[in-house]
Amino acid sequence: METENKNQIKSYLTFKLGNEEFAAHVSKVLNILEMTPITKVPKAPDYLKGVINLRGAVLPVIDTRIKFGMPEAEYTNNTCIIVLDIDVDGESVHVGAIVDSVQAVLEIDNSQIMPLPTLGSRYKSEFIIGMAKVEERFIIILNMDAIFSVDEITSIVDSNQTVAEGSETQQ
Amino acid sequence: MDNFKKKFIEEAAELIDKLEVALLELEKKPNDEALIQQVFRVMHTLKGNSAMFGFELIDSFTHNLKSIYDKIRNGQLEVSKDILNITFSSVDHLKAMLDEQNYDDPDFKTIHSGLMGKINKIINPDIVEKESNNTEKAQDMSGSFSTFYILFEPNEKIFSNGTNPLYLLDELCSLGEHKVYAHFNRLPGIKDINPNLCYTYWEVLLVTDKDVNAIHDVFIFVETDSKLEIQKLAEENLLADKEFVDEVSHLADIQKDVGLVTIQRLAAKSVARINKAKAREFTKERIATKDKTAASIRVSSDKLDHLMNLVSELVTTQARLSLFAEQNNVPGLAPIVENVHKLTRQLRDIAFSIVLIPIENLFGRFQRLIRDLSAELHKEVDFIIEGADTELDKTIIENLSDPLMHIIRNSMDHGIEESRIRIANGKPAKGKIHLKAFYSGANVIIQVSDDGAGIDPEIIHAKAISKGLVPSDKKMSKKEILDLIFLPGFSTAKKVTDVSGRGVGMDVVKKKISDIRGEVEVESEVGLGTTITIKLPLTLSIIDGLLVSIDSSPFVIPLSSIDKIYAVDKESIYNTFNNLVTLDGTQIPFFSLRKEFNLQPSNEELEQVVVVNFEDNRVGLVVDYVIGEYQAVLKPLGKHYKSHDIFSGATILGDGTVALVMDTNKIIKMFATSK
Repeated sequence: METENKNQIKSYLTFKLGNEEFAAHVSKVLNILEMTPITKVPKAPDYLKGVINLRGAVLPVIDTRIKFGMPEAEYTNNTCIIVLDIDVDGESVHVGAIVDSVQAVLEIDNSQIMPLPTLGSRYKSEFIIGMAKVEERFIIILNMDAIFSVDEITSIVDSNQTVAEGSETQQ
Repeated sequence: MDNFKKKFIEEAAELIDKLEVALLELEKKPNDEALIQQVFRVMHTLKGNSAMFGFELIDSFTHNLKSIYDKIRNGQLEVSKDILNITFSSVDHLKAMLDEQNYDDPDFKTIHSGLMGKINKIINPDIVEKESNNTEKAQDMSGSFSTFYILFEPNEKIFSNGTNPLYLLDELCSLGEHKVYAHFNRLPGIKDINPNLCYTYWEVLLVTDKDVNAIHDVFIFVETDSKLEIQKLAEENLLADKEFVDEVSHLADIQKDVGLVTIQRLAAKSVARINKAKAREFTKERIATKDKTAASIRVSSDKLDHLMNLVSELVTTQARLSLFAEQNNVPGLAPIVENVHKLTRQLRDIAFSIVLIPIENLFGRFQRLIRDLSAELHKEVDFIIEGADTELDKTIIENLSDPLMHIIRNSMDHGIEESRIRIANGKPAKGKIHLKAFYSGANVIIQVSDDGAGIDPEIIHAKAISKGLVPSDKKMSKKEILDLIFLPGFSTAKKVTDVSGRGVGMDVVKKKISDIRGEVEVESEVGLGTTITIKLPLTLSIIDGLLVSIDSSPFVIPLSSIDKIYAVDKESIYNTFNNLVTLDGTQIPFFSLRKEFNLQPSNEELEQVVVVNFEDNRVGLVVDYVIGEYQAVLKPLGKHYKSHDIFSGATILGDGTVALVMDTNKIIKMFATSK
């Protein structure tokens, strides 16, 4: 069913972290929220920012930047929380992902999606579905289920490939 | 059709449960006609339903089983241990029958034919008779009873020829079921009594299969000079009609005598009643089930969960509305908000009461367990249930079944001694297991106590040392030692029996109970018995809490664990090296939540210490300030925080912010171990 959807709907939501542009399949996105105050959960890992009240339900919020091995940034007017419907062992789990800004919903045909170059990529390949070139920009299409699944506490950055990883593994 | 089948199976499972309960009762009171009727009725309904939905196997099986109880009902058979045992196995078999997939299983087939054979043997002990004939005959027999009215007014001088009228009455009564009313209203004042005269006269209602002549025969010698009226009232057993008997007894009490005319009138009424009841007999079960459906309906638990979620959301929204009305002085808004507040509260209470179900069903299951175990282990046990009407959240009850079963098994297996040993120890031969549920504040307590051998702390201690669970030189209190049985890898059974010791130890019991936010404790006296106490929250979804603030974030501490709150000046908290604060003359260890949560120290001069109960000690938790009591609708934090269990959940406050609900036990444990 999931794959069927993916085959039928070719829409992707794109968002930015720093200068990089990423995309998530729209079937994974429930909602886009403005930044709201987040209740911190003491003693929790760094990337778990806390919880918010999503229409009466408690929604855990993850800072995508930290997860992606980027330095934390000040929240701006553009900062958004994307509410995702993640599939964890066949169970649907809702989680909020903080991103720098939401860009657009794009139609990307399957034929446009290219595999990631194996070398030189910062990210572990199991988290990436592929790359697409849209209007001269490269967009990384993410496997949201894998990235935001519960057990995947570690960063998605390939440790062989450097970057500021120390900040989130220390705690 | 599948849908109907599912409904049938659901209903049948319930009927079978009911049957089991009734049978257990019947075992205690084998002559209780109401119970026999009940057993029969349930079987009848089960048979009818299964025939309707095409479960022919259940239909024919229940039909035969029912025949046994039909015979018992008609007095052709007596309830015996044998019959009950077969019925119990049949009940188990019926459960298996509900799953059609079992039908091809060879084991199932053997059980089936075996039971069928046994049942048939009970129905037709000697010759194979057409069993429908049998039942007909039985009905004929009950139909041949008639009710007579007898007025016996002996001659005053009856004593003079040596007749004792009481002997006559005795003889009369030997003819069948009877009701005798003696009338003393002719008795003169004490001064005027002539002891040689008989002043008393009698009215008798007699149900017998003998004819009127047999009754006349009783009075054959006195008939001539006494007043005797014998009248057949009906071809029925009127004494079985309770209403009739009550009416007559009442009249006999208030009047000097009832009189034939009145009795006949009442009898006619009663006959009409009985006929009506007879006419209804076949549809009776139907009506009974119909009445039931009107009183309660079946709702899927998904829908209930959904309702609960919506109500919780409504409560939260309402809190926001109240806050908004307070902040914005809009004319006319306040009364509306107040009304909404009231309605929400009522709605919430009702919604919560819907998901509370009596613990009865669960307890009923254990009765069966005890019965089977006492047969298996050859231990006689009185099983006493108390407080079966105590209500608990259905999810809690579902999760309680396994741990309780394990505890009861333990009591039966290790606790209760064999009768021979019991007698030698001066205890009654029959053991006693007491299962009790009761409310205590916002908690429900469930206790399983037995009067068995008890747990010897020395053996436990020695065993724990030999297993390396505790250091050998550590001094431990008796309670600490008893608590060792909850450690993983601890099993006190010297030999593994089939009953307990299946690899699930008390550690699993403890874990399962704490999964539903409960606590379990053990008390035991060697030789006197063991009591296991389980403390459970009333519901999982709402708790009474204390709202506190730490670094301007709200937190909720469950009220149930709080002992006292103190205000303490900052100096005494930050300038200690051993984390002890003196409150009310006792030193109490404390943790500063600010510090433990890695937050900046506060600037306030006064801090508040919330003293909570932790295991058997009191521990202080330092917070910035206490906001007040708060009824928290508990929401899960989600899978991402699954491993982060120092918070049992979160709740949404009136202004929409999220407050975390602390699990004080786990928080203190974590702080203590991180030191």
